[in-house]
Amino acid sequence: MDKGHREQEEENDKDEYGMATHSSILYLQEKTTVGRVMLSVNPFRDRICRVFSHNNLFSFEDVLGMASVFSEQACPSLKIEYAFRIYDFNENGFIDEEDLQRIILRLLNSNDMSEDLLTDLTSHVLNESDLDNDNMLSFSEFEHAMAKSPDFMNSFRIHFWGC
Amino acid sequence: MERREQRVLSRQTWLCLQPPSPPTRFLSTDKAQMSSSHPFIKSLSLDSSCFSSPPVNFLQELPSYRSIARKRTTILSRDKQNGTLLRPTDSYNFQLEGEITEDLDNQSIRKYALNISEKRRLRDIQETQMKYLSEWDQWKRYSSKSWKRFIEKAREMTTHLELWREDIRSIEGKFGTGIQSYFSFLRFLVLLNLVIFLIIFMVVLLPVLLTRYKITNSSFILIPSKDVDIQCTVYPISSSGLIYFYSYIIDLLSGTGFLEDTYLFYGHYTIDGVKFQNFIYDLPLAYLLSTIAYLALSLVWIVKRSVEGFKINLIRSEEHFQSYCNKIFAGWDFCITNRSMADLKHSSLRYELRADLEEERIRQKIAERTSEETIRIYSLRLFLNCIVLAVLAACFYAIYKATIFSQEHMKKEIDKMVFGENLLILYLPSIVITLANFITPIIFAKIIHYEDYSPGFEIRLTILRCVFMRLATICVLVFTLGSKITSCDNYLCELCGYNQKLYPCWETQVGQEMYKLMIFDLIIILAVTLFVDFPRKILVTYCSSWKLFQCWGEQEFAIPDNVLGIVYGQTICWIGAFFSPLLPAIATLKFIIIFYVKEISLLYTCRPSPRQFRASNSNFFFLLVLLIGLCLAIIPLTISMARIPSSKACGPFTNFNTTWEVVPKTVNTFPNSLQTLVYGITSEAFAVPFFMIICCFSEKELITGLREEYQYFLYSVMAEGARELSDISLIGALIPFVKATSS
Repeated sequence: MDKGHREQEEENDKDEYGMATHSSILYLQEKTTVGRVMLSVNPFRDRICRVFSHNNLFSFEDVLGMASVFSEQACPSLKIEYAFRIYDFNENGFIDEEDLQRIILRLLNSNDMSEDLLTDLTSHVLNESDLDNDNMLSFSEFEHAMAKSPDFMNSFRIHFWGC
Repeated sequence: MERREQRVLSRQTWLCLQPPSPPTRFLSTDKAQMSSSHPFIKSLSLDSSCFSSPPVNFLQELPSYRSIARKRTTILSRDKQNGTLLRPTDSYNFQLEGEITEDLDNQSIRKYALNISEKRRLRDIQETQMKYLSEWDQWKRYSSKSWKRFIEKAREMTTHLELWREDIRSIEGKFGTGIQSYFSFLRFLVLLNLVIFLIIFMVVLLPVLLTRYKITNSSFILIPSKDVDIQCTVYPISSSGLIYFYSYIIDLLSGTGFLEDTYLFYGHYTIDGVKFQNFIYDLPLAYLLSTIAYLALSLVWIVKRSVEGFKINLIRSEEHFQSYCNKIFAGWDFCITNRSMADLKHSSLRYELRADLEEERIRQKIAERTSEETIRIYSLRLFLNCIVLAVLAACFYAIYKATIFSQEHMKKEIDKMVFGENLLILYLPSIVITLANFITPIIFAKIIHYEDYSPGFEIRLTILRCVFMRLATICVLVFTLGSKITSCDNYLCELCGYNQKLYPCWETQVGQEMYKLMIFDLIIILAVTLFVDFPRKILVTYCSSWKLFQCWGEQEFAIPDNVLGIVYGQTICWIGAFFSPLLPAIATLKFIIIFYVKEISLLYTCRPSPRQFRASNSNFFFLLVLLIGLCLAIIPLTISMARIPSSKACGPFTNFNTTWEVVPKTVNTFPNSLQTLVYGITSEAFAVPFFMIICCFSEKELITGLREEYQYFLYSVMAEGARELSDISLIGALIPFVKATSS
């Protein structure tokens, strides 16, 4: 019941990219430098806001927590943990095909996406990282894939305030 | 429903094989759930037989265990009923904090994925826990914490000292990480050259300067050379009567005339030792050792830099290095802050992923080729490779001819020639090399089109051919010079071992050639930026109505060409530093100038390319090319040091047959025991310490990588097997076998 109500809310506020714009996210984007400068063009901004906020509210400590995860000095395991949470769109504890398709759609941001392309890419990702062949990535499989990924540490960071 | 059970299954399998230390609270609340969902889970016995030590120990070795152990908190916080992510502020909070405090000993709180208020609470708990430890443990923990804090502060300080940090950051934000890695590479070369110059300054220049300017109470030792024909020691410094004004410019650009007998070149250091108050400083040995030192330092630094930062996954092939996981999960650069850069990133991701899928399709098509087609393709490739070799041979021959022509005509009365003709002859080898390096990439790009490779391989092969071309031209030049130096009129240089009539001080002349190459390279880069890039931008911006300019378009920053350019410059520096000790300082200045010129050209004349290089791939590629350059630089140096007799008229090695002879002569002056020790070390393969350095860096990574791969492979096989056999006890039986084969 609660979930249905939430989904309906989400249906009502979506911006031009189809992303949910909760009031907390709007607050973050408009009132804080972080939101305005850093997150305004990020395709995963709604997920970032959802993962780091509590009950759809942001406190200063939440922003601080977000900054510490995205900083250059954060350890890889912490980044991988939060990346997993961000990429888990349906929040079932796994990154399944539905999540992967949504990730790819967000990344490519194009209107003419053929089904073949999506399924091809999804199957390639699962081929590479799904070790127990259950068509989704558990946290350990995701961690294994990211530990071998050379670009992960460089991509998953935000430069805050010239530091 | 089936799928849901499977999900629960794989997670529970993983969890059940955990050591017995998880609190029983967790297990008891879930036991009912576990037993109800699937017959397999019912058979799980939660008594100690399940957690017998071999499986536990084996799985504790898996790297993920540690993250799972830490992550127990977050696993707990996932709601079992409907699978939604619970917030840590819920009721499980108190439980999970209790668990974390159990193993807080060595874990830093930072690594836990909790929010700040929980971490604060944990820190308080940890601090109260400290009171119950012994004095020694307390002090140990306190000192390790303050040491960590000190290291962090020091690291922060050093990052502020980084050269050009803000410039490179802003380039990264505007043009992406591929181009940023080019500028980081350039910065690395500036630092490398600066350090090389410092080594040479400390070891060679400083004693000479101190003595010459009478700062210390030291004097030069000049030993007249014996057993050498007097003709070999004649060194006429050319000085003609009437000096035109422009001859100074020519001298500056070519290192002749007034620059010849300065600190810039080898010939100035005709000193056999420096006598200080307490000891004698052996300058020839120092000169040779500085060369070896800077080559070794460059090698170690490059290898270290290529290993750190990312894992060289040598197990998988090149294609998997750019895996889909990497491109999708680490594809978006979270640093991007403006809309245009974001659009560019979206389009580049689209391009990249489509190109990858296309490449797969082509590879499949290639695999399905018939045998006739394969024969046809291979014979065509053989023919085209012969053409490539022919083109390379033609270029090398042209360079050889140009060098010989230039050397012969330089000896004539240069002052009597017209100004332009002067410079043309002096710079002829450089001009021919630059022309060859300009034309051959175009030819190679055309040829590879017909060879029918997959797109990724095409790019790599073209780049490889261009790299080889660029770096081999320097070698050809140096070998041509070498052949001229060691060939006399009657084909036998019995008198001095080298052609002392034309080259009384051949090291200085080689140094002059390297100096000319370096100066010309800098002039060409400045000229191209000034006379090609900027006009192109102006024309395209203001005359965009013309079809021609519209088609031509704005310039894109071509990373491979630029990287080859600076690697070429660095190779010249490495070869030339022996013959011209100040060359690394000139190279440092040159790279600093190039940095600013390229930055301005990038910001004002270039548009971002839709095809972006990945930073991780770029770093490896740049350092690989640099390593090839270093290896190609070492070859002519070793030949000239070990084979060609050193000049008897100038330089520190007048009393030795070859440059290398300093070392055996010095070793002979050691006490006997030390001598035997040195002979012992050098009689073992010299490659042993060399391999040890390489092994220390890369094999450790390789072996841990291989081990992890194997263990994860075995785990996945086990998980499949468990699902089919529905009996976890069978896994327990398999574990010792797995452990034995994996260690």
